[in-house]
Amino acid sequence: MIQIEQLAKSFAAAPAPRQGFALKDWSFKRRAMPPVQAVRDVSFTAPNGHITGLLGPNGAGKTTTLRMLAGLITPDAGRMTVDGIDVVAQPQAAVATMGVLSDARGLYPRLSARENIVYFGLLQGMSRDAAQTRAETLAQMLDMKPLLERRTEGFSQGERMKTALARALVHDPAHIVLDEPSNGLDVLATRALRESLRFLRTPAGGSKCIVFSTHIMQEVQRLCDSVVVVSHGRTVASGTVAELLERTGESDFEEAFVKLAFPDTLRDRAGLRDANPALSPTERGQV
Amino acid sequence: MNPWRSALAVFRKEWLDAMRDRRTLLVVLVSAVLIGPLALLALSGLIASLEAKAEQRELVVAGIGYAPSLRNYAERQTWTLREAPSDYEQRLKDSKLGDPVLVIAKDFEAELLRGDSPEVELVSHSANPQSQAGARRVAELLRGFNQERVGLTLALRGVALELLTPMKVQEVDLANMQARAAQFTGMVALIVLLAVVSGALNAALDSTAGERERGSLEPLLMNPVTGMALVLGKWGAVAAVSMLVAVLSCLSFLPSQWLLRSENLQAMFQFGWTEMALFLVLLLPFAAAISAMLMAVAIRCKSYKEAQANSTVVMMAVMFLAYVPMFNQTGEEPWHLWVPALAQNSLMLRVLKGEGLTAQQWLVPLFVCALLSTLCLGFVARRLRGAAVK
Repeated sequence: MIQIEQLAKSFAAAPAPRQGFALKDWSFKRRAMPPVQAVRDVSFTAPNGHITGLLGPNGAGKTTTLRMLAGLITPDAGRMTVDGIDVVAQPQAAVATMGVLSDARGLYPRLSARENIVYFGLLQGMSRDAAQTRAETLAQMLDMKPLLERRTEGFSQGERMKTALARALVHDPAHIVLDEPSNGLDVLATRALRESLRFLRTPAGGSKCIVFSTHIMQEVQRLCDSVVVVSHGRTVASGTVAELLERTGESDFEEAFVKLAFPDTLRDRAGLRDANPALSPTERGQV
Repeated sequence: MNPWRSALAVFRKEWLDAMRDRRTLLVVLVSAVLIGPLALLALSGLIASLEAKAEQRELVVAGIGYAPSLRNYAERQTWTLREAPSDYEQRLKDSKLGDPVLVIAKDFEAELLRGDSPEVELVSHSANPQSQAGARRVAELLRGFNQERVGLTLALRGVALELLTPMKVQEVDLANMQARAAQFTGMVALIVLLAVVSGALNAALDSTAGERERGSLEPLLMNPVTGMALVLGKWGAVAAVSMLVAVLSCLSFLPSQWLLRSENLQAMFQFGWTEMALFLVLLLPFAAAISAMLMAVAIRCKSYKEAQANSTVVMMAVMFLAYVPMFNQTGEEPWHLWVPALAQNSLMLRVLKGEGLTAQQWLVPLFVCALLSTLCLGFVARRLRGAAVK
């Protein structure tokens, strides 16, 4: 089980570029910008045998949250545990139980897909033989057997994604964390991924705890057991798709999401519509 | 997980990755391993041609008909005389004429007979090394002519020739043959130093800035491996590539000395297995240190291109430090041993001169390299996590 409580993280912003050039203003110092608050207050619990979707618009703080969960960034505040292991206090122990497909999915172009997968298996403490066997199993599961012996240089986006996913799952982790996993995949590959995740959730697949971030509504509706809506660095709602629809009084999940994630925008647009009845439906903010 | 096992896995992967980068490896091998022997062969060709010139004893003269007595003297010294081409100045400038030109005025002989000290010009070009070397030999010939004239004149007057040389000077050069050769073969040390740096360069950049640029550093750090284990594995592979280039570069000098055309240079340039072993004792720790330093420079950079630009500073520093002994007329200083690249270069020159290494001369650079490696690797390990997410 993954538990995240009141997570917060801010970054120093890049200094503002100088406007124009004048000799009297010549200085190596540029105007400092206020820090960027990427994550303000994110909390959720992802149980085992359950697919939890982290849904939010671009820049909501999903990737930063998952990076903190993977031990790459230390949070400013909050707590994260994976099966009771504190990620900040014992990052390596926590990471060993997780398979993370991050935003960056770079492969080693001069190594074959198999070598890429086995390398990560070795770093996870597996024996070479065990990693090789696991690579075969994953290749079967992700329908990438013909790719296994090819160098990853020149792989398509989908082939790269499959290899990166296999690499993240090589040690058969109890927790699977995926950052926008269907990016770059075609319909068939997305379906295959969905089927794989559904299988991994079942007791036969190991009752994995699966967390994945996305901004695609359909994916959430079709796959997730529960949804955590993140907006402007905060958890603004959580529950099953049905619960969120009920809470917002909407029948369309996209409408429900917009209501939950952008309540201020909707309010502003409603005010605009009331003030100017001549506006077209689009201009009145019908999302 | 055992950090040494992780480091070994990283080392194996990085080594495999570097060995599969065939094109880069080939360029490094051609530039680092072949350039030394080629430079040595070119140098031997130059020296052989200078030696051949010296053996020819040919005097190029403009206006030879005006100086029959000088012609007589030169021919008695077994020199052959040749009339200079009319455009000899231009030819000397263009290095198309390899001999200095002796210019004799029309009334040379008459002035000589009157005892008026006629003037001759010995024309050479300092950017034309063959004419420069020849000028010294011709000046020696003319000095001999002067001495003979003076000797004959004084002998006719009954003056003993010994009066002209109240003191005899015997020149003794303490440098042995190898030490004299070191002024020519000093470039060997510089070439192997640069070979070591260029051997480490690509692997160091690829395993740090390259990894960062292609987005594989972030997933790599999501494995339960300490930053130091990752860095040690990467460093091991980079240093191994650099050391391999060092060994190949040194090995390439063994057969190349047999191809030297100049017999003198062949006799003077003694680079056998002992010299190679001493070179490697100095170069292997340097390869380890420069690998760590290049990784430390590259981990700060967001792209491979930026890392390449930054690493040229390291390359330039190595070149500059290697040139210090050339500019420093006071010879070796104790502090030279404490400066990487300078220490290795100075000590390799000692080896080429046939002088051995003391324990201190070996241990001080070793300590400096170990310290530099530790500091740089600590820096890389500390920056690794931050580099992955920026």
